[in-house]
This record gives sequence, C-alpha cells and structure tokens, in this order.
Amino acid sequence: MGKWFKSGSPCIWMTGGAVSLSLIAVLGLLLLIAWRGLSYFWPADIYQWEMQDDKGQRYTLIGELYDREEVPTERLKSAGYHFNSEPGEFVTRYLVKTGNREFVGLDFRWILETDIVSRSTPEGLAMIERTKNGNFYGYPVAVIEKGQRLELGGDVQNSLEEHIERAVDLADQAMTLQKQDIGAVNYELERLRLKERGYELDDALTPERKAELESKRQQLDQHYQGLEKQLFSLREQAGRDSVIVRDMRGEEVTLSLDSVLDVSYVNRMGFIDKVGHWFVGLGRFISDDPREANTEGGVFPAIFGTVFMVLLMAVIVTPFGVVAAIYLHEYAKKGPITKMIRIAVINLAGVPSIVYGVFGLGFFVYMLGGSLDQLFYPEALPSPTFGSPGVIWSALTLAILTLPVVIVSTEEGLSRIPSSVRQGSLALGATKAETLWRIIIPMASPAIMTGLILAVARAAGEVAPLMLVGVVKLAPTLPVDMNFPFVHLERKFMHLGFHIYDVGFQSPNVEAARPLVYATSFLLVSVIVALNLTAISVRNHLREKYRSLEH
Amino acid sequence: MISIDSSVMNTETLDLANLPAEETALEIRNLDLRYGDKQALFDVSMKIPKKKVTAFIGPSGCGKSTLLRCINRMNDLVDNCYIDGEILLHGQNIYDKKVDVAALRRNVGMVFQRPNPFPKSIYENVVYGLRLQGVNNRRELDEACERSLRGAAIWDEVKDRLHDNAFGLSGGQQQRLVIARAIAIEPEVLLLDEPTSALDPISTLTIEELISELKSKYTVVIVTHNMQQAARVSDQTAFMYMGELIEYSDTNTIFTTPKQSKTEDYITGRYG
Repeated sequence: MGKWFKSGSPCIWMTGGAVSLSLIAVLGLLLLIAWRGLSYFWPADIYQWEMQDDKGQRYTLIGELYDREEVPTERLKSAGYHFNSEPGEFVTRYLVKTGNREFVGLDFRWILETDIVSRSTPEGLAMIERTKNGNFYGYPVAVIEKGQRLELGGDVQNSLEEHIERAVDLADQAMTLQKQDIGAVNYELERLRLKERGYELDDALTPERKAELESKRQQLDQHYQGLEKQLFSLREQAGRDSVIVRDMRGEEVTLSLDSVLDVSYVNRMGFIDKVGHWFVGLGRFISDDPREANTEGGVFPAIFGTVFMVLLMAVIVTPFGVVAAIYLHEYAKKGPITKMIRIAVINLAGVPSIVYGVFGLGFFVYMLGGSLDQLFYPEALPSPTFGSPGVIWSALTLAILTLPVVIVSTEEGLSRIPSSVRQGSLALGATKAETLWRIIIPMASPAIMTGLILAVARAAGEVAPLMLVGVVKLAPTLPVDMNFPFVHLERKFMHLGFHIYDVGFQSPNVEAARPLVYATSFLLVSVIVALNLTAISVRNHLREKYRSLEH
Repeated sequence: MISIDSSVMNTETLDLANLPAEETALEIRNLDLRYGDKQALFDVSMKIPKKKVTAFIGPSGCGKSTLLRCINRMNDLVDNCYIDGEILLHGQNIYDKKVDVAALRRNVGMVFQRPNPFPKSIYENVVYGLRLQGVNNRRELDEACERSLRGAAIWDEVKDRLHDNAFGLSGGQQQRLVIARAIAIEPEVLLLDEPTSALDPISTLTIEELISELKSKYTVVIVTHNMQQAARVSDQTAFMYMGELIEYSDTNTIFTTPKQSKTEDYITGRYG
C-alpha cells in the first residue's frame, strides 16, 4: 500500500479524476442545455383529450403535451377537489399548451389524469403559427378566397399551404417596404430636420436655404405617400384570404392569412418530415426577429448585436492592450512608478463588472457622450445622440474590463522572445521601434491572440454592465443598416445574454418562455465557441509562422 | 610554442603603433569600461587596420567580447554600463552625443556566437537591413540577396529555397545566412563574436574560408577562444588578459615570438 502511494499513482488518479469530472460537468451542462433547448423545435404531437371534470361536465381539450408531474392527492383534496374514485397517494397531472390565447384565456393549462376520459391523435389537427397571439390548434375546414368559401377536401394540405405561402410572401414584401424604403425616407426626413435646426442654431437659415429644404421635404413626402399606398395595397392583398378553423370548443374561427406564418399537420408527419420541420424551426430561430415580447420568433437581432459588439470591443482593446504592454515591457524604467502601474493593471482585473457598468454610464455615456453631443450634434438636442447608452459605449466599457487580460498576455509573449533576435535586429541598424514593429510584435502575435481569445470569452458573456450602457429588450433597428453612415455607433442593441435574462424572468408567460431560455443559452454558448475557434485557428496559423528558435 | 603550419600563416607585417590614417579602420583610445562598480576594460588603446582580419584572443572573462561590443555600441543596451575614452571611426568618436547609433550599426555589422536568424524566409532575412533603409524595389533586393548569399558562400545551397523559413537550415548554414544578412547592407567593418564556437568542425572550416574571402572587402574583427583559429585566419592578433590589452601585433609575431610573458604563457597553454 505504501509502495503504491510512493510510486505517485494516487496523484495521477487524483489529477486525472479531477480533469474527467470537470469535463463531464461541462459536457453535461452543454448537453442539458442543448437537449432542453433544441427539443423546443421538434414538432410535438397534438393530442385531443375528452375530459370530464369533477362536476361531471364533459369537454374537449386540444393541445401539445409540455410537462407532467406527480401531485400528492391530499393537496388536491384540500384545494377542494372531489374525486369520483380514490386515486391513490399521488395523482399525475399534465401541462398542456392549448394556444388559442384570445379565446380561452390562458395558453397553458394543468389537467389531472383522473379527469381524462380518452386521448387521441387525429390526423386532421393542425398547429398554426401566427404573428400575434401565439399558436392556434384546431381542424382547418375551409379557406375563404376573395370572399368565396372553399371547402378543404381531398388534397387538403397543399391548397391551404399555397394560400399561406402567398400571404407570407406578400407580408414579407410589405415588411421590407416598410423597413427599408419607408425607413430610408424617414431617415432622410430626420436628417433634413436636423440640418434645418443646425442652420437655425448657427443663425444661417437664409430664405434660399429654407426654400431648398422645404422643396426637398416635399419631394420626400411625395415619395413617402407613394410608398405608403404601396404598403397598404400589399397589406390588403396579404389579408385577402382567411382560413376557417374548428377549435376545441367546436366553434369555427376565422383567421386572416396575413397573421398566419405556417400551418403544420403534425400528426401526419413522418420522421423525416419532422426532422425537416425541426431544421426549419431552428433556421427561423436564428434568422427571424422576435415577436410577442421576445417570447416567440427568432433572436437574430440579439445574435447580430452580440457579435457586432464583441468585434467592436476586440478592435478597441487590442491596440490599447498591446501598446500598453509594449510600454511596460520595453520602455518603462524599472522603478516604483512602473511597479504601481503594474499593480493597478492587475487590480483592474478584479473589479466587479457591474462597477464597470456604472463607470461606463457616468464617464462614457454622460460625460463623453454629452460632450460629443454638445460639440457635434447640437441640432439634435435636447434629444441625445451619443449622450445616451449605445453600442460604442458598451464596447468601450467591455474593452476596459478585458484590458488587463490582454496586457498580461502580451507581456508574457514579449518576455518569451529571446534577446538574441532583438540584438540581431539592432546590430543591423534598426531602431528599437523598428525592431518592435518588424520582429518583436509579429513574434508575439500568438500571445496577443491568446489575450484576445480570453478577452472575447469574458466579454461575450458579460451582461450586468451592458444593461447600463447600451443593451435594450427590443431594438427597432440594427446598428448596421443601409442608411448613411451605415454603421450607427450610437444605437442601442440587443444581446443574447440579456435576452436570456429577459425571456427567462421578465416575460409575461414564463412557461412558454422556458424552452426558449435554454435554446438561447445554447445559442450563446455556440456563438462564443465559434468566435473562440476562429481566434484559435488564427493563433495556430501564427504560431506555425513564427516558430521560435527552439529547434 | 605551438606547432603551426607556417604556410597558413599570414606574413604581412604592419607597423600597428604608427598606422597611417588612410589605413586605419578604427582607433580605440584609452577605453575604460565598467559595469556598475566593476571595471571590465582598463585603458585599452589600439589601431585596427583596414581590410585585414584582426583577432582578439584571451582566456574567458578577459573582456574581448566586451571590447568587441563597444565598437558597435551594443553595450549601450546593458544597464549600468559606463564608458570612458574614445573609439574613432573615420576620425569621429562614435561615443559622441550627436552620433546616430543606428547609422553606426549599419556601418559596423555584427555576427553573434549563436546564429540568430529571424523567423522569416531566407530571402527576407537577407534583405531585412535593406528594407530598413527603405529599399523596396524588388529587383534591387533580389540582386542584393544573391550578391550577399554568394558572398557568404551559401548561394548554391539555398538558391532554390529562398522563400522557405530560415529555421530549416542547419547551424552552419544559419550562421552563414547571418553573415550574408550582415554584409547585405555593405558595412565597412564586420565584427564576429566567436562565430564558430557553436558549430561543428566542417562548418567551422567553411566559415574560416569565408572570413579569408571577406577581408578583401571588409575590415574584420573576430573574437575567438580558439587559438588555432586565430592563427589560421587573422592578420593581426590582440591578446587580452583581465581587461587589459597585453600585446597587439601581427599574428606571426604573437604566435612565434611573443614579447610578453603572459602572452607566451597563454599560447603555450599554461592557462586558458
């Protein structure tokens, strides 16, 4: 026994065990999030239950099965529930998503197993995804086209799908028209207004200029009128048809097709169809805008905002961090001041991130942003341009947060470069700066990339400081669009981390939102992994290129 | 007395004490150097003739490398290094405050003990010095590269792989590459700090042959702890001991009839 201890084997087991545990924990976490998140997109069977409640009333329930749990009978009895026959100690109850929000009040409902008379999966049942009010479950029976009622029979699915496709297409066109063309017109009008205000402030509003602006404004207004007409006509056309669905109360409900996104006869789908539907759902999640207070739809603006802000932060932090590290390593004299600077840098890494948020708000947003507004955008005042939270201030705040990491990494990389290379360069008549630029920094670039990877990993996950300096629940536009100057650094943006918080805790319908929280978490992890893998591959390429002198 | 093949020895004799100015590459006048409180060079004075090979020999720690590094002011990089005295290049003291050190180092090249090519291609290594000076014309650089690599006797070995990484070369080839890099900017003086001590015997021989060719165009000062190498390669030899210049004369005299007893003790191997 003593021999085994001495040979060092227990240490190997311990260290290997610790690594394995850590890996299992991480993988387990990822698998959990992935499973619970991605299964949201898998089309679940739609059931039809015949129910009889404790008062003997019969009714029909149509919906998806979301969850089940065991409830002690005692609790139900004390809540005033009467059982027809003794059910035992526990009663199973099911969480059913019934949709049809405008007709039945709640999206979700708990039902007791004891109340279920029968359950079936009729093939005529469809799940209808809508732009407002969530999903609708029922039997589509007819389509109203141009006022004419067409019974759906025979080739039921295709006829309805064609109509929906047409409506969705028109609705997309309308949306594009509104967002891009009309948006551009509005943007131009706003710029004209600011220009006029600018002239006013400078006392330079001559009658000619005023007339010029007025004529431009009229042109834009006319253009706007034309576009508006187009928009209304498109919307009208999109709403031309409707579908009649028989819901679980047995009543026929008319749904206008301009609010319908998709209809799926889930119970008829084979496995391959379901896989296809899953991919489509996932694709929509990544590329669509959110709806219904972020509880439905996609998260594309959040993905875009997160990636854009992280890239902006990387562009800001890298030069600053590298230059600071070079100063500390190459130029600073080894005295007490340099020591103090180093201590300050290391301490910067320990400051809680919310404190950075407060600093960012006070210094960047109010002071810097306010000054920028006074100097460059006086015509927009009192409405702030840069003096309010925005993507640039978020990027700057996170840049300061991750600065110590980059500095320490870069310094480490610089110290690993053998002095023989430095001396070789100086002996050829290079100045210190030339040596740095041509030889040292390229050789330290793998270490700089390491610093960048760590910075990106940390920054992409920070949410608390961002809430103060630029992230919002719903941003109407992206920071990058087609209007000059194309990149709008003062705009607020959406962020995946904040989205998780918002959907998970601030949404009106927490049950509906929970799978979405998991899906968004998984997406955030994937985005960070993708960013990291890109940076790591760049670093490996650089490592190969600047292979050190050890050979 | 060590046995030296007299056919290898250089037989020209110069009057080193009264060398005329047009034949002097460098003049060292009363050079003192100390690291903090510790003095490393004591009142060194010598004149180094043009286009000849001068060797500094002596036991370890005698200050020969230190002296060599003074000539291109590489000792400036060391903290706490204080220098008194002068080194004159073209009659100008290189330690004058107005001297541009980078320009000095372009004129006085150095090759170090361990080969230190940059992590770039062979071509980029050689033209590094030229690019520093702003030469970017592809043809000029190509021509300079070929000239330097030929001058360093390595052209035939690398002409087909100029754009491969320099680390793919062997130690001896890397050292010749570094020499090519140094002569690409056409300096007047080449300082070689124990250039073959990290190499195998065959590479050592190649480089010694190279040094004999180099002296037709450059003044070469070589530090070596290998006496036979000094005898083979150099025209003048300076023997140093404990920071002092003990004897400085043509190689012939130093190795056959040294005037100082310390010199004789060293070359006969009484201490090393």
